[in-house]
Amino acid sequence: MRFEDVELGDELPVEHPDTSLPKIEQWCEAADQHFARFVDHEAAKAEGLPGALVPGIMSQGFLLAMIHRWAPGCTVHKIDTVFRGPLVIETELTITGAVTDTDDETRMAEIDLTIATEEGRTGVIGTALVSFAG
Amino acid sequence: MILDLHTHSIKSDDGRAKVENYCKWIRKKELPLDGFVLTEHRQFDATSDYRHLEDEYGLVILKASEVETDYGHVLVFGVNDDLVNSFDFAKVDNPLPMVLEAADRCGAFAAPCHPGRKNVGLFAHYENKGAVDGVHTVEVLNGGSIPGEDELSVEQAGQRGYAGFGGSDSHIVSRIGYCATDFDADIADIDDLVGALRTGNFRAVTYREQES
Amino acid sequence: MSEENPLDLEAIRSEWLGVEFDERTFEPEASRMIAWAEACGETDPRFLDENHPDFQAPPNMTTIFNSGRFLPEGFPNIGSGFGIDGGKTVECLAPIRAGDVLTGTATIADVFDKTGRSGTMVFIVQRMTFSNQSGEPVSVVDWKTIRGI
Repeated sequence: MRFEDVELGDELPVEHPDTSLPKIEQWCEAADQHFARFVDHEAAKAEGLPGALVPGIMSQGFLLAMIHRWAPGCTVHKIDTVFRGPLVIETELTITGAVTDTDDETRMAEIDLTIATEEGRTGVIGTALVSFAG
Repeated sequence: MILDLHTHSIKSDDGRAKVENYCKWIRKKELPLDGFVLTEHRQFDATSDYRHLEDEYGLVILKASEVETDYGHVLVFGVNDDLVNSFDFAKVDNPLPMVLEAADRCGAFAAPCHPGRKNVGLFAHYENKGAVDGVHTVEVLNGGSIPGEDELSVEQAGQRGYAGFGGSDSHIVSRIGYCATDFDADIADIDDLVGALRTGNFRAVTYREQES
Repeated sequence: MSEENPLDLEAIRSEWLGVEFDERTFEPEASRMIAWAEACGETDPRFLDENHPDFQAPPNMTTIFNSGRFLPEGFPNIGSGFGIDGGKTVECLAPIRAGDVLTGTATIADVFDKTGRSGTMVFIVQRMTFSNQSGEPVSVVDWKTIRGI
């Protein structure tokens, strides 16, 4: 995808990231983040959480992967996410993106990002600044 | 005339939307909005001037505040120097009766937002501490609500005789216009808005895609 | 602040914002970079194939290269609980390669409070600024941690 192909209002294909326990465990191992609240529902509930949580940084990784799939070869210059509520592992999350601005001078696009839970609550909002390969 | 009465820009700590990008989005997506109100968290943005954007995009852009009280968050329209000096907008536990009284006294209009929110909304506080006199209008449709919250707001507002308006509570550009308010009157400035809110001649509307 | 919560956040801000309190080095390994990318559902070979000419770390991998010390020594004990992740901002200034030696310095970027779905909370923003072995700035990360009041 080239900058010229991108228009304000374009929406990235909706995705449902893999939040299965093996994937969460793989990320925790790679990130050296060994906390029971990410992999053990009962331990998380004992901390007052609704269940084991998708690590916030991992959820940011879902969004980056979505952007890279949408625009192969693109470069993410900035990603800024606000975690507004818990995302529970082994549930279906819906991640979306939309182009909200394009800059002809820098040839970058600004993208809105969201992650919503099964019940429709938005758990993460954010933005990313992206340039394109072409 | 349809206005989104509850939006945040990058002036709010958790806002990620530039005001011009809201304008571009509204026009590109052909949203049925005639304008929007910026309700930044715990502050009144007295300095930003968006008149050039109003002219360029043909939209009404007004400024208000979202303050925090012991009964949840409250939108305050018609903020002026007298009101800013009446209480600390940055505090997170202003007494709701005080905020309502100060708004009345200073010619502003205060109304609780997302009152159906679990644990922290106005109606959750009513359950625990009883109702507050002086509430007359609430935000019954909020773009950030999860299923059930707006339904509770509509039901409770109806039972208590409160008027209801709508706002997206957008913090990113693509969420503007999820909910809004349809006014009978034309509104060109903040005084018009306060006047129109006082008449009660408005309806909350939603353009959010319905989740199953 | 309220009478029940006598925190003077303004005083904390004026004393602590911008104070550099830690410096550490980090060496991202290819295997961890790939495992991270795979777990997040990445399909771009730049993040999955060690032999790709542009092989690099996932853009937000620096978010885990945090200072072992979360707060400066002597920083007031504000808020309660273990702290919830309130969000991350990552500025990606240059690709990070396997074997790079990154130096990260930590500062407190902001402290503020607000109420939300979970009640009254205090937000602490820690900033980590990273440079590689050539002194080239590669990443700036703002960590936002939420604690209850």
